[in-house]
Amino acid sequence: MEIKKINGNFILTNFKKGLTNGLSVTFLMVKVIFPCYLIIEIVKHLGIINIIGDLFRPFMKFFGLPGEAALGIIAGYTINLYAAIAVLSPLNLSSKDITIVALILGISHSLSVETPVTQKTGVNSWVLFSVRFLLSLFAGAGLNLLWKFF
Amino acid sequence: MEIFLTALKKSAILTGQLLLIILPLSISYEFLKHRQKELEGKKWRFFGISSSGLVPLITGIIIGLTYGAGVIIHSIRSSNMDKREAFLIMLFLSICHAIIEDTLIFVVIGANGIILVVARFFLAFLFTFIAYRWLFFKKTL
Repeated sequence: MEIKKINGNFILTNFKKGLTNGLSVTFLMVKVIFPCYLIIEIVKHLGIINIIGDLFRPFMKFFGLPGEAALGIIAGYTINLYAAIAVLSPLNLSSKDITIVALILGISHSLSVETPVTQKTGVNSWVLFSVRFLLSLFAGAGLNLLWKFF
Repeated sequence: MEIFLTALKKSAILTGQLLLIILPLSISYEFLKHRQKELEGKKWRFFGISSSGLVPLITGIIIGLTYGAGVIIHSIRSSNMDKREAFLIMLFLSICHAIIEDTLIFVVIGANGIILVVARFFLAFLFTFIAYRWLFFKKTL
């Protein structure tokens, strides 16, 4: 009887905790997404996006991506994935482009937050940082090459 | 002004889509935390990672480094695993973590989710295996 009661409470508290966590994450997310979205819309409107695109085109061609995608990758590396999708979403990229960006960012993102986390486990975080950064670039380039076969 | 409104509207839609992903996930995370004790008892070994490493590994793969940080740091520090094992776990996790959330939020804007999951798991296994086999060669002998 007593065990059953505890179990019931567990479910309710877990549910509540999860809901509150989810909502607070979403709130944090909105604070990131909206400014990023706005900046990109303004940049697009003013035509600066083409200049940025031209600037990054030489680097982005290794991944088969348009130059503008570099903004999304930079946002993902430094801020987090929500900033990255807020930047990428208005750019209207193809499914292939987004998959490549997603692989790059999936391996290596939010480096400002996650590097300190890895450090606290006592593991040399510089090694992991370098592995993630380099691997993400190679994986992106690799997926771009693989995509051509299919 | 028009730009402001478009940005507001579109980011609201995007947030709504993400909310649908994040809420179920954050609720299931809480339930997952309660299962940790059960996982700890299991005997399992893979590429030099023991059963005590399974908890941080699974937490990281599913929840991710940001939200799972507390659990991962605690379980690595409290168990008496060596530096080598901790490194292997963190190497695997740094390549392959938050596999559900990261994949879904990109699927929302049009990515191919299967490719993402397969590629990240493959790379994580590959690199952990390489590190296990060759990087710690002297110790494994």
